[in-house]
Amino acid sequence: MSTVPILETRGLGRRFGALDAVSDVSFSVNQGEILGVIGPNGAGKSTFINLVTGHIKPTSGQVLIDGKDMTGQAPWDIARAGVARTFQIVKPFNGMTVRQNIAVGIMYESHGTNRLSVALEQAEAILEEVGLGGSGDRMPGELSTADIRRLEFAKALATKPRLLLLDEVMAGLRPTEIEPSLELIRTLKARGTTVIVVEHVMKAIVAVSDRVLVLAQGKVLMQGGAHEVLADPRVIEVYLGHRYAKRQKGNA
Amino acid sequence: MTTMNKGIQGLKGKGSQRTMLEGALVLIVIALALVIRTKLPGGELRAVSTIFMFIALSQAWNIIGGFTGYASFGQVVFFGMGGYFTAVVMLKFHFSFWLALPLAGVFAAVFAALIGQPLLKLKGHYFAIATLGVAEGMREVVINLPDLTGGGAGISVPIAGTFAKTQYLGDAGFYLLFLGLALFAVGIGTLVSRNKFGYGLRAIHQNEDAAAAVGINTVRSKVMAYSLSAFITGVVGASYVFQQVTIFPERLFDVEITVLMIMMVVIGGSGTVVGPLLGAIGLQFISEYLREHFTNVHTFILAAIIILAVILIPQGAVNYFREGRRTKDYSLLANIRRYRL
Repeated sequence: MSTVPILETRGLGRRFGALDAVSDVSFSVNQGEILGVIGPNGAGKSTFINLVTGHIKPTSGQVLIDGKDMTGQAPWDIARAGVARTFQIVKPFNGMTVRQNIAVGIMYESHGTNRLSVALEQAEAILEEVGLGGSGDRMPGELSTADIRRLEFAKALATKPRLLLLDEVMAGLRPTEIEPSLELIRTLKARGTTVIVVEHVMKAIVAVSDRVLVLAQGKVLMQGGAHEVLADPRVIEVYLGHRYAKRQKGNA
Repeated sequence: MTTMNKGIQGLKGKGSQRTMLEGALVLIVIALALVIRTKLPGGELRAVSTIFMFIALSQAWNIIGGFTGYASFGQVVFFGMGGYFTAVVMLKFHFSFWLALPLAGVFAAVFAALIGQPLLKLKGHYFAIATLGVAEGMREVVINLPDLTGGGAGISVPIAGTFAKTQYLGDAGFYLLFLGLALFAVGIGTLVSRNKFGYGLRAIHQNEDAAAAVGINTVRSKVMAYSLSAFITGVVGASYVFQQVTIFPERLFDVEITVLMIMMVVIGGSGTVVGPLLGAIGLQFISEYLREHFTNVHTFILAAIIILAVILIPQGAVNYFREGRRTKDYSLLANIRRYRL
């Protein structure tokens, strides 16, 4: 096993006009690790994912995948390097059946089959895995919120990623619906897939993350173990305000 | 697990059965077309040839407009450029038509790749207007190059005598040529509808960011789709020019040709293969029928039919029936509600 991190960012930043949406984010993830990313609304979590996957070009810094500089590369090049993602605002291919949605990713994966019939067969296993077995012939428009999130997850898995970035795949799910997703993330980890989980559902973050990165106002506030991070007064402050943080400290 | 395997086998069985059925259908259609050829008088042969021509054109438009979702309102530019290329190389460089034909397609495809790089970055209406501008502009270019293109006075292709490399094909010959082009275009459309490339285009149509995220090079795919569509349009334009002998920029770059392609695809069902095919046959047939029987008001009635079709089944006939079969609901009223403008 190599010691080169699967993903590393160095001083990564993106400025929109006068706003630094993300600035000077430096961190790395090793293969097989699950990294949780949290932060209040507007902290730059989604922008950060977009910078890594090439959907937004950075204005400063570098993105290294397997030690190779991939800064500013097109999203399809990043995808073909083994990085997959989900979108916070789900983007299903609406004109296709659920099974066809998955088949697209399978065919365009760099070692994937080029034949549609084979891809459609392979899609079945991925649908089973995310809990969409039996829904292959339905259209995305007919799915429930939970199922559409599962489809988003499945579309990312179709590309057989080594690094998976999940942008709030559990948002809007009921607690009973969250558990299968967590189980799936653990299964992926067991297979050696690296996962970066961006979530507001703290329970989920605590349950799966090996390490948690906290973003606030586009910068890295801190990183560390889940419990350690969530107990940190700085983190409580960015979420709940400094007065609440002070009171907590007083009580402790 | 066993039920799943059975299901997949069922799927496969159905697939190959379908392919055989389609193969048989195509053979029957070709046989019928060849029989009809010996029975029809010249005028009607020409009318059927025109239907074949529009089948090919609508399939071409469907690749970029239907599958990829980029409404090319200037598609006629490839028709005109393929046509003018053919006229010029046959007249000035004494090319045989059979050499000019594929080259005209390549010429249109290369042109599409060049203008596609900047144009395909535009979305929706912006792309539509920009392509329309290219077509209108190119007509002016052709008019203003009289030494090469004959300008507004037109240009004639040599069709007989020692000066002509290829003798005129005649009504029966052009019937076969356009039949061949229609089959070629439908074949390409069918291939695209079922292969990796076509699924990439459909993904781009639905969401470009999501398509890029699963590894689809959206820029390259869009340019390839545009070029492929231009190639077919270009060879059809080349054939049309040889059939018409003398051509003028106004006709070869006529926006009406683009509008017909779009109407045929949209009414038939965009993003499907059968849709544009039925749209081309239906619209051209109705148009001819009305011209014959209601000569004075034929465009009026045709327009009314088109408006009704767009209001009642805006997603196109084929998609309407497919959805109807899925939901078991063929109510036009429900359909209007679902797709109301």
